[in-house]
Amino acid sequence: MSGESPTVGDDEPTATPQVTDGDTTVIARTVVRIVVPIILLVAIALLLQGHNQPGGGFIAGVLTTSGIALVYIIYGLHYVEDNLLSGSVLPRSFPLDVDNAGSDGYATITKEFGEVFGVGLAIAAGGGLAALVFGYPFLSQAVVFLEHLPIYGEVEVASALVFDLGVYVVVVGGLLTILAVVGNE
Amino acid sequence: MQSPSQSVLLVVLALPFLAAAIAPLVYRLAGDRVAYFGATVAAVAFGLIGTQYGTEGVVSIPWIPSLDVSLALYVDGLSLLLGFVVSGIGILIFTYSGGYMHDEPGKAKFYTTLLVFMGAMLGVAFAADLLALFVFWELTSVSSFVLIGHYQDDPDSQYAARKAMVITVAGGLFLLIAFLLLQTVSADAMGTATFRLVGGEESMIANAEAMREGLRSAGLFVPVLGLLAVGAAAKSAQVPLHIWLPNAMEAPTPVSAFLHSATMVKAGVYLVGRFRPLLGSAEWAMLFAGLGLLTMTVGAMLAIKADDIKELLAYSTASHLGLIIAGFGLQSIYGAETGAFHILNHALFKAALFLVAGIVAHEAGSRLLSDLGGLWRDLPITAAVAVVAALGMAGLPPFNGFYSKELLFEATFHAADHAGGLWWILPPIAVFGSVFTFLYSIKFLSLFFGDRPDALDHVHSPPLPMLAPPVVLAVLAGVVGLGGIGGTLGIHLGPLEGFVNRVVEGAGAADPHFGYYLPTSLTPAAGMSAITIGVGAIAYPYYDRLAAVVERLASIKPLSPNWYYDGIIGWLDRTTVVTERVHTGRIRTYAIWLLVGVAALAVGGYVAAGVALPALSSITLGAPMIIVLGVAVVAAVAVTSAPSHVAGVLTLSILGFMVAIFYILANAPDLALTQLVIETLVLVLFLLVLNKLPAFYGDLDRRQILTDSVVSGIVGVTVFLTVLVSTAATPGQPIYKYFLERGGVPSEHGQTLLDWGGGSNIVNVILVDFRAFDTLGEISVVAMAALSIITMIAMRQRGEAQ
Repeated sequence: MSGESPTVGDDEPTATPQVTDGDTTVIARTVVRIVVPIILLVAIALLLQGHNQPGGGFIAGVLTTSGIALVYIIYGLHYVEDNLLSGSVLPRSFPLDVDNAGSDGYATITKEFGEVFGVGLAIAAGGGLAALVFGYPFLSQAVVFLEHLPIYGEVEVASALVFDLGVYVVVVGGLLTILAVVGNE
Repeated sequence: MQSPSQSVLLVVLALPFLAAAIAPLVYRLAGDRVAYFGATVAAVAFGLIGTQYGTEGVVSIPWIPSLDVSLALYVDGLSLLLGFVVSGIGILIFTYSGGYMHDEPGKAKFYTTLLVFMGAMLGVAFAADLLALFVFWELTSVSSFVLIGHYQDDPDSQYAARKAMVITVAGGLFLLIAFLLLQTVSADAMGTATFRLVGGEESMIANAEAMREGLRSAGLFVPVLGLLAVGAAAKSAQVPLHIWLPNAMEAPTPVSAFLHSATMVKAGVYLVGRFRPLLGSAEWAMLFAGLGLLTMTVGAMLAIKADDIKELLAYSTASHLGLIIAGFGLQSIYGAETGAFHILNHALFKAALFLVAGIVAHEAGSRLLSDLGGLWRDLPITAAVAVVAALGMAGLPPFNGFYSKELLFEATFHAADHAGGLWWILPPIAVFGSVFTFLYSIKFLSLFFGDRPDALDHVHSPPLPMLAPPVVLAVLAGVVGLGGIGGTLGIHLGPLEGFVNRVVEGAGAADPHFGYYLPTSLTPAAGMSAITIGVGAIAYPYYDRLAAVVERLASIKPLSPNWYYDGIIGWLDRTTVVTERVHTGRIRTYAIWLLVGVAALAVGGYVAAGVALPALSSITLGAPMIIVLGVAVVAAVAVTSAPSHVAGVLTLSILGFMVAIFYILANAPDLALTQLVIETLVLVLFLLVLNKLPAFYGDLDRRQILTDSVVSGIVGVTVFLTVLVSTAATPGQPIYKYFLERGGVPSEHGQTLLDWGGGSNIVNVILVDFRAFDTLGEISVVAMAALSIITMIAMRQRGEAQ
């Protein structure tokens, strides 16, 4: 369009909530389809091995967010909401766009990212509280060695993994909330 | 003498606050009956305080042991008096509110705040520690603010609440400085620095002589005295800080009766009584006797110009508080007796009068003297209460106020007789002020007598919960008055006189023999009383003319403290010093202030601590490091000359990725991994918001470039210094050794490890095990950041819609 001004001020009424919906190439979409599962797998690996090798809940969380961010950018917010999560990812308090208000996609709100980080905080704090049940100070962690397992042999299980999982969920929830809200602008 | 019980005192203090916490719930369940819940709480507190009658001493509970601050509670006559007044009047006020607040809005808030106030006031009464006293003191100011502003939408209420807040809280800050000075001086005077004001060998009052000398040698005696006087004057509405009190009458009448006549304004008076043994001296007498008598006279004069009965009572309250302060100011035993006895008398008659005013306003629909008259036919019991209370206020024998006023006359005459000279000015001033007190007291009674205006509608009789409290107060006031008649005949009201003796002891007079009776011979004080009543009776017919004169005097602007207050507040509202320089609404300004401020604090800290810079020669770098950092520097320079946002962001991420490589070279794979992922994510976020930003930067003027480069230079140098200084430290036992030892799996171990980290990634073990609590805090911050983004972006539009 020739009339598009370099400074984008107010929202034009036709502005869509999608980030770059419609002008992505086939190459980009194909790459994302292949890469995102790998990214998520790596993230989970980082989370699980974090206690002994580089990794941990924070890195895994940021990596997961990057993977989902890729989907956002290439496929748009609606794709994530409708096809992946079948529910809204935006906070309920978020003002709806004119073309979405009252549409069925928003009528069946099942979850939003805002709840995700709440759950993460609960996991982290709950893991710490569990130590109190056993009579140890808040957030005491322990390590248990499981021996004679098939295939793996000896496996070290750290209670800190629960805490790390909480960190992971908070980071994913928090960053995705920011991403979704900012992206929707 | 028995020492007080710690548990009882704690319960007394905690009870109102706990009750306040559940008051909204009680209101939801019981509705208006929450008033009787409040009254019950007050009654329990009153009863518990009653069990401590006859005890004296201090109980102490550690509060902040590292600062040597304890919640020390002290019981003696003076604190018991205030405790009894607060809880006793509290019972009646809560009961009265049950009737009065029936149709008013915001009852849950009202009762909650009233309970908090009662707790804070009891705290003021029993605090032995200056810090605890200060905290409770300010808490009373805050609850008073909320209660005055009860009608939130009314501009007059807002003005009144803000005025009270500014004056009383600012006064409290003066007090805080005085307390801190006293603590500093106590280090020299007594060997150890303490905040303990009273109670025990180590308290300031127990070492009053040493404290006075210490203050004098430090040149701080008069400053501390002045600071205390400002604090007490602000709270107790002394001239010229009295101006908030008449405005405070915007509050519902039970509040006026409770806070602004019987209790909160007594806090300043109480403070003066409490400090009297510590700082009593010639300067003390000059300051407080002068202040008190001035307020007594000015307040009484202003009261006669008032047409609104609550305004009349407000000025009268200021005037009577002046009387008490003057009493505590004078150094003779009569002075202490005046203050002690009048606190009690004033609480009795003034609270009763406020409640009467509330009944009149509620039932007759007007508070203006000019609209009302002859109400005794409609409200006979109320009229009887008003007669007893108002004649006590006038100081007419044999009503209760007469005796304490007589004591003031005696104290002023005694002071003049002993010191001579200028002190002879005191007795005439006392008489002059008392004449006006007599005049407005009689005027108040004109509500009930004389002709009933035709315009007045039918007047209902008040419900029992509103009628009973003032009757109780009037009966008590009457009993005190009868005690004087009995005293004349040799039948003394033993418990009362004994109690006042103990209050007088608390105010620093040794071995008091308090007894009160009607004068049987023509003493100077009796003569002064006679003059007061005689002149008052002659002057009463000219009341309106006198009021007009006062009105004209008060309207001279430079004489009116309100003129200064409004001027200063108005100037602050209009001034643009702050908005022009700090609060511009532009992020550039905020960033500059914040960054330069933080940098200045950091560098200032290094200079103050005398931190030496480490030698730079000890830092060695390999070739790969130099290359990576070189690229980073080039990228950083390139960012500043990037032609567009996209180019700028991409260049910035080169810098970020170089830092990641730097981490790899420095053997920190975890950091490198995090840096890489974060860098990617930030890039994505930036690209998302870029199309919202203007595509080009626009033209900068040269001055702005200059400021910006100076600011960024300062910040850069500060960060560089911080890194240098903080990494140069080499503690004897580095903590990383502990982490390395305990972080991994020990060579020999059982099936479960509790004391060890059990992981070979030490960074992760620190994050989730050794320092898990820190991490919990950090992820809470992440959650909060997400919440604030939601609030800022999502609610922004909602706010506009409203």
